[in-house]
Formats: sequence, C-alpha cells, structure tokens
Amino acid sequence: MAMTLSAPLRRRATTALLLVPLAAYIIFLAFPLLWLTSTSFKRPNEILVLRPTVIPKAPTLDNYREVLGPEGVVRASLNTMKVAVASAVLALAIALPAAYALARKQSRLNKAIIGWILVSQSFPSILIIVPLFLILARFSLANSHLGLIMVYVVWSLPFVLWILHGFVKGLPNELEEAAAVDGASFPQILFRILMPLLLPGLATTLLYAFVNAWNEFFFALVVLKDPQLMTVQVSLSRFRGLEGLARWGPLAAGSVIATLPAMAAFAFLQRRLVSGLLSGGLKN
Amino acid sequence: MRRIRLLIAALLVAFLASTGASTAGTAPVRVRFVSLAWQKTAVEAVKEVVTAWNRTNPAIQVDYAQVDWGAIHDYMLTSFQTGNVPDVFHYESIPILDFAKRGFLTDLTPMITPEMRADIFPGAWQTVLSEGGKIHAVPYLWESLIIIYNKKLFRDAGITPPTKEKPWTWDDLQRAAKTLTKDLNGDGRTDQFGAAIGLRSPVNRVLNLSIGFGGNYFYVQGGRNVVLVGEAERALLTILMNMLYVDKTASPDGLGRGSPELIPGFLAGRYAMLPGIGVWARQSLVETAPADFEWGVLPPLKAKTQYQGSATQTLSIPAAAKNKEAAWRFIEFALSRDNMAKQALGDWLFPTRQSSIRLSGFTTTKYGWDVSTDSVRFLRMAPWQKVLGYSEWRTRLATPLMNELFANRITLDQFAERVVAGSAEILDRYR
Repeated sequence: MAMTLSAPLRRRATTALLLVPLAAYIIFLAFPLLWLTSTSFKRPNEILVLRPTVIPKAPTLDNYREVLGPEGVVRASLNTMKVAVASAVLALAIALPAAYALARKQSRLNKAIIGWILVSQSFPSILIIVPLFLILARFSLANSHLGLIMVYVVWSLPFVLWILHGFVKGLPNELEEAAAVDGASFPQILFRILMPLLLPGLATTLLYAFVNAWNEFFFALVVLKDPQLMTVQVSLSRFRGLEGLARWGPLAAGSVIATLPAMAAFAFLQRRLVSGLLSGGLKN
Repeated sequence: MRRIRLLIAALLVAFLASTGASTAGTAPVRVRFVSLAWQKTAVEAVKEVVTAWNRTNPAIQVDYAQVDWGAIHDYMLTSFQTGNVPDVFHYESIPILDFAKRGFLTDLTPMITPEMRADIFPGAWQTVLSEGGKIHAVPYLWESLIIIYNKKLFRDAGITPPTKEKPWTWDDLQRAAKTLTKDLNGDGRTDQFGAAIGLRSPVNRVLNLSIGFGGNYFYVQGGRNVVLVGEAERALLTILMNMLYVDKTASPDGLGRGSPELIPGFLAGRYAMLPGIGVWARQSLVETAPADFEWGVLPPLKAKTQYQGSATQTLSIPAAAKNKEAAWRFIEFALSRDNMAKQALGDWLFPTRQSSIRLSGFTTTKYGWDVSTDSVRFLRMAPWQKVLGYSEWRTRLATPLMNELFANRITLDQFAERVVAGSAEILDRYR
C-alpha cells in the first residue's frame, strides 16, 4: 500500500523542495561576492595559484590599507555617491511629471515621444561623448561633478521615464476622479493619492538611475580630468594591467568597498519598495 | 511645506557650490601628465619622478593622473576631439604613429637634444619615426619576449639551459619540450608539459617572433601594403601547431589564456617553460613564486636570427597642449638617465637609453635581468608597426583566424589563404 502524507507534511515537503533551488540560486548569486571578499584578504602568492582557496591561508589587510590610502577609493566612493544620488534624484524629479503627462494627457505625439525614448537608448556612449563634452565645456561644466551629473541625468532619463510611464499608466483614472469628487486639489491627488501607489515604481527607477551612475566608467573617464574628482570605477581601473593581469588584491579590496554603498542603497530601497506595495493595497 | 522648500533650496545651493568646476590657482604653470604605469613598483617610480620635479620646479607643477591600458585609446581620442588634452601622455609607438599622421601630436624633432638623440637606441627611435623623419614621441621603455623556465624540472630531466653565447634554436626548444613532457602518474594523461604558450591574443606575439625567421607578413608591392604568408611566415606557426597537436608538448591551457595567466600553472610545475612571455611578467613571478621556487630566463631562440619585433612605450605632447615648453622640460627630466632607469626597473622593462641600460640594475643575474637585458640587442622595429590599418587588420581578421588555426579548426593553408584574401580589403581602405 502506498504511503500517504498528511496535508501539513505535504506542504512542508513542497516548501522544502522549493527552497532547495532557491538556496542554490542564492549561493550562485553570492559566490562572486564571496570570492571577491576572499581575494581582498589575500597576498599575491595566494591569488595567482592553480588551485586557489576560498578561505585565505594567511589573511592580510595590506590590500585595504593600500586602497584606503590618500589616493584611495574612499574619496572616489564619496565622489561617486554624490554624483549617483544627485543624478538619480534629478532624473526622477524630471521623469515623474513627464511620465504623468505622457500617460494621462492623450496626444498624437505621445507615441512618437515614447518611440523616440526607446530609440535614444540604442545610441552607444562613444557616439555622443564628443558633442556632449563640447557642450559641457561651453558651459564650463567639463571636469566638474555637476557636468557629470547632467550627463548621467540625460543618460538615464529615457529609461526612467519609460518605466515610470508604465507605472502611471497602470493606475486607474477612477482613483484621481474619486479624489477630485471628494474635493482634492491636483497636488493633493498627486502627492496623497498617486505617490504612495507609485512608490514601488519610484524605488525601482531610483535604484536603476543610482546603480547606472554608480557603475558608469566611460563618461566619468572622459568628463573628469582632475584626479581629486575621480569616481570609483575610474579609480579602480588603476589596478588593471595588461594581458589579463591586474593587481587583483587591491582591485578586490577596492571593489568590496565600492560595492557596500550600492548594497546599502538596495537594502534601504527594498524596504521602501515593499512598504510602497503594501500601502497601495491598504484602505485607510 | 514652506520649511521643506527652504530646506531643499538650501541643500541645492550648498550642493551646487560643492560641485562647481574646479578653478585652481594660476601662479605656477600646470602640466597634466597621464601615465599608464600600473604595477605597484612602476607607479611608485613615476610618482617619485613627479614629486622630485615638483619639489625642484615650483614654477611648473606636474599633476599626475593614471589611466589604464584598456581605456587609454578612447581617452586620448576623445581628448583630441574635444581639445581637452593632457600636456604629456604615456602610450605606445604603434598608435602614436597613427595619431601623428592625423595631426594630433606636437612635432618634438626640434626639441630633442643631441645628447638624448645619441643616447637612445637607434632601433627605439625607428619605432616612432613618422613620414618625413619627424618624431612625435620619445621612446623610453621597451620589452622583449623571453622564455621563463623551471630550473628544477630542467635539472631533473638532465637538460642544460642554453647560454647567451650559445642560444637554442627552435628545434632545440622542441626537443627539450619533448623530454620535459611527462605522464607522472601513469594514468595515460600528460601531467607536465614542456611548454605553455599564451595564445589568447596571439597576433602581436606571432608577428614579433616571426621576424627571427625572416617573416614580415607585411610587404610593399606597387606602392601598396600587402600581406603575404610564405615559408618564412609559416615557419613559427608550423612549430606551434606541431607542439600543440603533433608532439603535444605545449599545453592546451595556453589556447584561451594570455601568457601571464599561465604563471600559476608554471609555479605548480604543470609547464616547464613559458616561451614568448613579456619580460615585465617577471614581476608577477617574483610576487607570487614560493621562496624555494627556482626559475630562470633563457636567451632568445635562434631561427635564421634571434631578432624579434618590439614596440616601445612613449611620452608625447598633444598638438593642443597648452604648456608645450613646460611639458617638454618635464619630459627631459623624466627621461634623464637615472629617472628613465628608475621607471624601467619599476615596470620590469628596459630603458631605451644606452646609458641607463648599462646601470647595474639591468645587468645583475638576479631575476634573470642579465639574460633579459641582453635580448635588447635583438629587438627590431617590425614593419607592420607602420602599416596603416594594422589595428583593424589584427582585431578583425588576423586574431579570429589565428584563433581558429590554433584551435585546429582550419589548416595552415586555409589560414594563409584567408588572411591574404581578407587583408587586401582592409588595407586598401587605409591607402
């Protein structure tokens, strides 16, 4: 006679079965970070070996000492944080009203505008960098963080706008109409009714714009010439060498430090993202 | 609400104030120097030179900036296009000739002193000589391709390493590789290979070493650059294919890796020799080899000759540089006998000044410097360095075809046929 499982046991077994691939996926995702952290504590003679180990045999802080030195990644990280936060917030501030207008105000131009937004994503950075730099130089914005922020805003704006447009379009018009019937003004509708429902979208796009700016290399390399203004990606490239070689230890240590703010941003915004989703579903 | 607005406005003002374009003082002349040195000792050497200059020249202050080799080409091209150029930049002779042809660089010919001209090896000057005999860059570092070997494995196999006076031929290398290739545990698989040759980006290495066989690849016919793959060009390719697939004395690990990436296997005793590795990679060995690991450098192999092609690393002044005279004065200082030697030692490369290379740091037996330095007399400027369109030829045509050849997917005849046919189309576009 075949053995039958009770319903709670069956549920637990199903959950366990679902958790196994999830755990495997998390390990798969976490492994590069683990390897990076491990390398950051190794000396060169432990890195360039045929069978490297995950746990360093003779851990060292030398790599961290080097990257945290006077020309290290801390200042570069702070520079990047400033540029990434400012460009993400600005992009969002510009994109939100634009997305609202595109989603709510019907016009024959809308489709063309959305199309253009998508097409503009396909331009390679090398194509636009020279005219962009000349424009920045004309306004004395080359070699400045403000100039780089402008570039990043322009660079991430189309995608941010496109994503937000989808979010706004997904909200039913009836919500605004009901609020208007109840006597709410337009700013009240926007900030009290729509904003809480848009929080997941805002968090997603903010995160996108932030990470985009945080990881960007080429524009920063070209726009910023003063070593004091360098961003973290440009700063880390100093450890890259020739023919596949690099100074792996300092590169890993710098990368670990550079990863922390992005991880913190994810952790912070993830909470907001979840709370935004929940608040959208609650009836006050 | 009003308070929030005021707070936002105050934050915005503070932020804009902190991000405004930098406006440095104007008292000293500022020279922006872009360097590509990346190894720890190399960066320290460059910084030492810059610090020494800044200390003794308060009127001309050098601002040092580091850019990596992977980004320098785009960095300089965009700098030339926008006019926002460094005053002095470090690069290598091959792209420099192209930059010079496009008018991006200052002609340094009238600035070069007779002392500098006489002291730098004529072969190094050759690598930067533009049409009309103009010089747009000062060559200051160069490298050779060397063979690094495991002394213990040689000793165990009873192989006597060659000397500078009596170098090996390529046949000798293949014989030694056969002796050194072993199945140590009797499982029918090779555990120790005689050699491993980094072939991930093989073109420059193959072309440089083919010069010893008399193979130039690029020839001028009727005023046009053409590529020919004759016996001299096939010689090295045949040897490499034999080692990989006939004798099986070269590890297949080399197919997807650059030479320096083979160092861990070399240190683990998996390969007895690393032929064709850049002289600068010794630093990685010094950093990573266990204290009791014995390694040495073999002299360049003899084909018809021991010649090999080499590019040089250079310093140049862009045509749009604001402070050319100050920039040149810094170059003279940075490339004095001792400063050039300091930077070359830091980078584990050779200085191009004859007076520098005679200094004791380059003639010591430690880390194979004596044998490595001796290889300088065989360095030649390869003809392909001055072929317009070479970079595209290498990237688009030669590299994929050589990768197919070394992966044994096409024959040598097919390789020769396709490379000759494809070259005409690319090179004619650059006429």
